[in-house]
Amino acid sequence: MARNLLHLNPTGLAAGLAAFLGIWFGHVVVRAVERRSASIHLPAAAFLLAGLLLEAGAMLAPQPPLSAALGILGITAGWDALEFFRQQRRVMCGHAPANPSNPRHVRILAEHKAATTLDLLDRQPLGRPVTPEQAQALVSGQSQEAA
Amino acid sequence: MNLFGPALGIVTLLVIGLGFVWVVRVERSLGYLWWPYFLAGGILLLGGSLFIASDWGSALAGLVGASLAWGATELKVQAIRAELGWYPFQGKKRRPPFAERIARWKAPNL
Repeated sequence: MARNLLHLNPTGLAAGLAAFLGIWFGHVVVRAVERRSASIHLPAAAFLLAGLLLEAGAMLAPQPPLSAALGILGITAGWDALEFFRQQRRVMCGHAPANPSNPRHVRILAEHKAATTLDLLDRQPLGRPVTPEQAQALVSGQSQEAA
Repeated sequence: MNLFGPALGIVTLLVIGLGFVWVVRVERSLGYLWWPYFLAGGILLLGGSLFIASDWGSALAGLVGASLAWGATELKVQAIRAELGWYPFQGKKRRPPFAERIARWKAPNL
Protein backbone atom coordinates (compact mmCIF):
# COMPACT_ATOMS: atom_id res chain seq x y z
CA MET A 1 0.00 0.00 0.00
CA ALA A 2 2.70 2.46 1.03
CA ARG A 3 4.67 1.50 -2.07
CA ASN A 4 1.64 2.17 -4.31
CA LEU A 5 1.07 5.57 -2.72
CA LEU A 6 4.62 6.52 -3.65
CA HIS A 7 3.74 5.87 -7.30
CA LEU A 8 0.60 7.97 -7.54
CA ASN A 9 0.43 9.83 -10.86
CA PRO A 10 -0.74 13.44 -10.27
CA THR A 11 -1.17 14.21 -14.00
CA GLY A 12 -4.88 13.35 -14.08
CA LEU A 13 -5.61 15.26 -10.89
CA ALA A 14 -3.78 18.32 -12.28
CA ALA A 15 -5.66 18.01 -15.59
CA GLY A 16 -9.04 17.51 -13.93
CA LEU A 17 -8.64 20.34 -11.43
CA ALA A 18 -7.35 22.71 -14.14
CA ALA A 19 -10.35 21.85 -16.34
CA PHE A 20 -12.95 22.20 -13.57
CA LEU A 21 -11.50 25.36 -12.04
CA GLY A 22 -10.71 26.87 -15.46
CA ILE A 23 -14.28 26.31 -16.67
CA TRP A 24 -15.72 27.64 -13.38
CA PHE A 25 -13.49 30.74 -13.40
CA GLY A 26 -14.30 31.49 -17.04
CA HIS A 27 -18.01 30.88 -16.50
CA VAL A 28 -18.16 33.42 -13.66
CA VAL A 29 -15.71 36.03 -14.99
CA VAL A 30 -17.03 36.14 -18.58
CA ARG A 31 -20.60 36.72 -17.32
CA ALA A 32 -19.49 39.37 -14.82
CA VAL A 33 -17.22 41.26 -17.23
CA GLU A 34 -19.65 41.05 -20.17
CA ARG A 35 -22.36 42.46 -17.89
CA ARG A 36 -20.30 45.46 -16.78
CA SER A 37 -17.94 46.25 -19.67
CA ALA A 38 -18.94 48.83 -22.29
CA SER A 39 -16.91 46.86 -24.86
CA ILE A 40 -16.25 43.13 -25.02
CA HIS A 41 -13.37 43.34 -27.50
CA LEU A 42 -10.70 44.36 -24.98
CA PRO A 43 -11.51 41.66 -22.40
CA ALA A 44 -11.79 39.06 -25.18
CA ALA A 45 -8.35 40.08 -26.48
CA ALA A 46 -6.95 39.89 -22.93
CA PHE A 47 -8.28 36.35 -22.49
CA LEU A 48 -6.91 35.33 -25.89
CA LEU A 49 -3.46 36.72 -24.98
CA ALA A 50 -3.58 34.97 -21.59
CA GLY A 51 -4.48 31.73 -23.38
CA LEU A 52 -1.52 32.04 -25.76
CA LEU A 53 0.88 32.81 -22.87
CA LEU A 54 -0.42 29.81 -20.91
CA GLU A 55 0.08 27.57 -23.97
CA ALA A 56 3.66 28.87 -24.29
CA GLY A 57 4.15 28.04 -20.62
CA ALA A 58 2.74 24.55 -21.20
CA MET A 59 5.30 23.96 -23.97
CA LEU A 60 8.16 25.06 -21.73
CA ALA A 61 7.03 23.14 -18.62
CA PRO A 62 9.19 20.03 -18.13
CA GLN A 63 6.81 18.06 -15.86
CA PRO A 64 3.64 16.47 -17.38
CA PRO A 65 1.28 17.62 -14.56
CA LEU A 66 2.36 21.27 -14.93
CA SER A 67 2.29 21.11 -18.73
CA ALA A 68 -1.20 19.52 -18.57
CA ALA A 69 -2.58 22.17 -16.21
CA LEU A 70 -1.13 25.09 -18.21
CA GLY A 71 -2.25 23.60 -21.55
CA ILE A 72 -5.81 23.13 -20.30
CA LEU A 73 -6.00 26.55 -18.65
CA GLY A 74 -4.68 28.11 -21.88
CA ILE A 75 -7.34 26.45 -24.00
CA THR A 76 -10.13 27.37 -21.58
CA ALA A 77 -8.90 31.01 -21.53
CA GLY A 78 -8.92 31.02 -25.35
CA TRP A 79 -12.45 29.59 -25.37
CA ASP A 80 -13.51 32.25 -22.87
CA ALA A 81 -12.44 34.91 -25.40
CA LEU A 82 -15.08 33.45 -27.73
CA GLU A 83 -17.57 33.16 -24.86
CA PHE A 84 -17.74 36.97 -24.50
CA PHE A 85 -19.46 37.07 -27.91
CA ARG A 86 -21.65 34.07 -27.14
CA GLN A 87 -22.70 35.67 -23.84
CA GLN A 88 -23.61 38.90 -25.64
CA ARG A 89 -25.73 36.80 -28.01
CA ARG A 90 -27.47 35.21 -24.98
CA VAL A 91 -28.30 38.69 -23.67
CA MET A 92 -29.79 39.61 -27.06
CA CYS A 93 -31.97 36.48 -26.98
CA GLY A 94 -33.06 37.00 -23.34
CA HIS A 95 -31.18 33.87 -22.26
CA ALA A 96 -29.00 36.00 -19.94
CA PRO A 97 -30.05 39.19 -18.13
CA ALA A 98 -29.21 42.59 -19.60
CA ASN A 99 -27.70 45.27 -17.36
CA PRO A 100 -29.56 48.60 -17.80
CA SER A 101 -26.53 50.43 -16.35
CA ASN A 102 -24.34 49.25 -19.24
CA PRO A 103 -24.73 51.45 -22.39
CA ARG A 104 -24.07 48.45 -24.67
CA HIS A 105 -26.85 46.51 -22.96
CA VAL A 106 -29.16 49.53 -23.14
CA ARG A 107 -28.74 49.41 -26.94
CA ILE A 108 -29.41 45.66 -26.90
CA LEU A 109 -32.58 46.19 -24.86
CA ALA A 110 -33.75 48.81 -27.38
CA GLU A 111 -32.93 46.74 -30.47
CA HIS A 112 -33.83 43.18 -29.40
CA LYS A 113 -37.38 42.44 -28.37
CA ALA A 114 -36.45 39.26 -26.48
CA ALA A 115 -33.79 40.96 -24.33
CA THR A 116 -34.75 41.34 -20.66
CA THR A 117 -33.22 42.43 -17.36
CA LEU A 118 -34.63 39.29 -15.71
CA ASP A 119 -32.52 36.19 -15.13
CA LEU A 120 -35.03 33.58 -16.28
CA LEU A 121 -32.82 30.74 -15.01
CA ASP A 122 -32.70 31.94 -11.41
CA ARG A 123 -35.33 29.61 -9.95
CA GLN A 124 -36.00 25.96 -9.16
CA PRO A 125 -37.19 23.56 -11.91
CA LEU A 126 -40.97 22.89 -11.90
CA GLY A 127 -41.07 19.71 -13.99
CA ARG A 128 -43.40 21.21 -16.61
CA PRO A 129 -43.10 23.64 -19.55
CA VAL A 130 -43.79 27.30 -18.79
CA THR A 131 -44.99 30.09 -21.07
CA PRO A 132 -42.84 33.23 -21.53
CA GLU A 133 -45.27 35.15 -19.28
CA GLN A 134 -45.09 32.49 -16.56
CA ALA A 135 -41.30 32.41 -16.87
CA GLN A 136 -41.12 36.16 -16.23
CA ALA A 137 -43.61 35.98 -13.34
CA LEU A 138 -41.60 33.20 -11.69
CA VAL A 139 -38.52 35.43 -11.41
CA SER A 140 -40.09 38.90 -11.45
CA GLY A 141 -39.33 39.43 -7.77
CA GLN A 142 -35.66 39.66 -8.67
CA SER A 143 -36.04 42.45 -11.27
CA GLN A 144 -34.65 45.11 -8.94
CA GLU A 145 -31.72 42.88 -8.07
CA ALA A 146 -30.97 42.25 -11.75
CA ALA A 147 -31.01 45.98 -12.43
CA MET B 1 9.58 21.66 -26.28
CA ASN B 2 6.78 19.81 -24.45
CA LEU B 3 3.63 19.38 -26.58
CA PHE B 4 1.81 17.29 -23.98
CA GLY B 5 -0.03 20.24 -22.39
CA PRO B 6 -1.16 21.96 -25.64
CA ALA B 7 -2.29 18.60 -27.10
CA LEU B 8 -4.22 17.90 -23.90
CA GLY B 9 -5.79 21.35 -24.24
CA ILE B 10 -7.18 20.36 -27.65
CA VAL B 11 -8.53 17.13 -26.14
CA THR B 12 -10.13 19.24 -23.39
CA LEU B 13 -12.12 21.14 -26.03
CA LEU B 14 -13.49 17.83 -27.32
CA VAL B 15 -14.35 16.63 -23.80
CA ILE B 16 -16.11 19.92 -22.99
CA GLY B 17 -17.96 19.74 -26.33
CA LEU B 18 -19.17 16.24 -25.47
CA GLY B 19 -20.15 17.60 -22.05
CA PHE B 20 -22.65 19.99 -23.66
CA VAL B 21 -24.21 17.04 -25.50
CA TRP B 22 -24.49 14.61 -22.59
CA VAL B 23 -25.89 17.23 -20.20
CA VAL B 24 -28.72 17.99 -22.65
CA ARG B 25 -29.44 14.29 -23.29
CA VAL B 26 -29.19 13.16 -19.67
CA GLU B 27 -31.46 15.95 -18.45
CA ARG B 28 -33.99 15.21 -21.19
CA SER B 29 -34.26 11.46 -20.53
CA LEU B 30 -33.29 11.13 -16.84
CA GLY B 31 -33.85 14.56 -15.28
CA TYR B 32 -31.68 16.80 -13.13
CA LEU B 33 -32.13 14.76 -9.93
CA TRP B 34 -29.35 12.43 -11.10
CA TRP B 35 -26.79 15.15 -10.34
CA PRO B 36 -25.31 13.50 -7.18
CA TYR B 37 -24.53 10.32 -9.13
CA PHE B 38 -22.69 12.20 -11.87
CA LEU B 39 -20.86 14.31 -9.29
CA ALA B 40 -19.79 11.19 -7.38
CA GLY B 41 -18.76 9.46 -10.62
CA GLY B 42 -16.67 12.46 -11.60
CA ILE B 43 -14.93 12.63 -8.23
CA LEU B 44 -14.25 8.87 -8.28
CA LEU B 45 -12.78 9.11 -11.77
CA LEU B 46 -10.63 12.07 -10.71
CA GLY B 47 -9.34 10.11 -7.70
CA GLY B 48 -8.87 6.99 -9.81
CA SER B 49 -6.68 8.91 -12.25
CA LEU B 50 -3.99 8.97 -9.54
CA PHE B 51 -3.56 5.20 -9.95
CA ILE B 52 -3.08 5.22 -13.74
CA ALA B 53 0.61 5.10 -14.57
CA SER B 54 0.35 6.43 -18.13
CA ASP B 55 0.30 10.25 -18.26
CA TRP B 56 -2.20 10.27 -21.14
CA GLY B 57 -4.45 7.72 -19.46
CA SER B 58 -4.34 9.56 -16.15
CA ALA B 59 -4.99 12.93 -17.82
CA LEU B 60 -7.96 11.60 -19.81
CA ALA B 61 -9.49 10.04 -16.69
CA GLY B 62 -9.01 13.33 -14.82
CA LEU B 63 -10.52 15.33 -17.67
CA VAL B 64 -13.57 13.10 -18.04
CA GLY B 65 -13.99 13.15 -14.24
CA ALA B 66 -13.91 16.95 -14.24
CA SER B 67 -16.41 17.03 -17.12
CA LEU B 68 -18.81 14.72 -15.24
CA ALA B 69 -18.53 16.86 -12.09
CA TRP B 70 -19.09 20.10 -14.03
CA GLY B 71 -21.99 18.59 -15.94
CA ALA B 72 -23.59 17.60 -12.63
CA THR B 73 -23.65 21.28 -11.68
CA GLU B 74 -25.30 22.17 -15.04
CA LEU B 75 -28.19 19.69 -14.91
CA LYS B 76 -30.54 21.87 -12.83
CA VAL B 77 -30.14 24.92 -15.09
CA GLN B 78 -30.56 22.69 -18.14
CA ALA B 79 -33.88 21.48 -16.70
CA ILE B 80 -35.05 25.11 -16.49
CA ARG B 81 -33.85 25.82 -20.05
CA ALA B 82 -35.99 22.91 -21.27
CA GLU B 83 -39.00 24.20 -19.31
CA LEU B 84 -38.53 27.58 -21.00
CA GLY B 85 -38.59 25.91 -24.43
CA TRP B 86 -34.95 26.70 -25.22
CA TYR B 87 -34.41 22.93 -25.56
CA PRO B 88 -36.94 20.14 -26.24
CA PHE B 89 -38.89 19.29 -23.07
CA GLN B 90 -39.70 15.72 -22.06
CA GLY B 91 -41.96 15.34 -19.05
CA LYS B 92 -41.50 11.62 -18.47
CA LYS B 93 -38.16 11.06 -16.72
CA ARG B 94 -36.51 7.99 -15.23
CA ARG B 95 -36.20 8.94 -11.57
CA PRO B 96 -32.97 8.09 -9.74
CA PRO B 97 -32.72 5.98 -6.57
CA PHE B 98 -33.50 8.15 -3.49
CA ALA B 99 -35.15 10.78 -5.74
CA GLU B 100 -37.34 12.14 -2.92
CA ARG B 101 -34.35 12.68 -0.68
CA ILE B 102 -32.25 14.25 -3.48
CA ALA B 103 -35.12 16.61 -4.35
CA ARG B 104 -34.79 18.12 -0.86
CA TRP B 105 -31.09 18.90 -1.41
CA LYS B 106 -29.99 22.12 -3.07
CA ALA B 107 -28.69 21.20 -6.53
CA PRO B 108 -25.31 22.83 -7.20
CA ASN B 109 -25.23 25.64 -9.73
CA LEU B 110 -21.90 27.35 -10.20
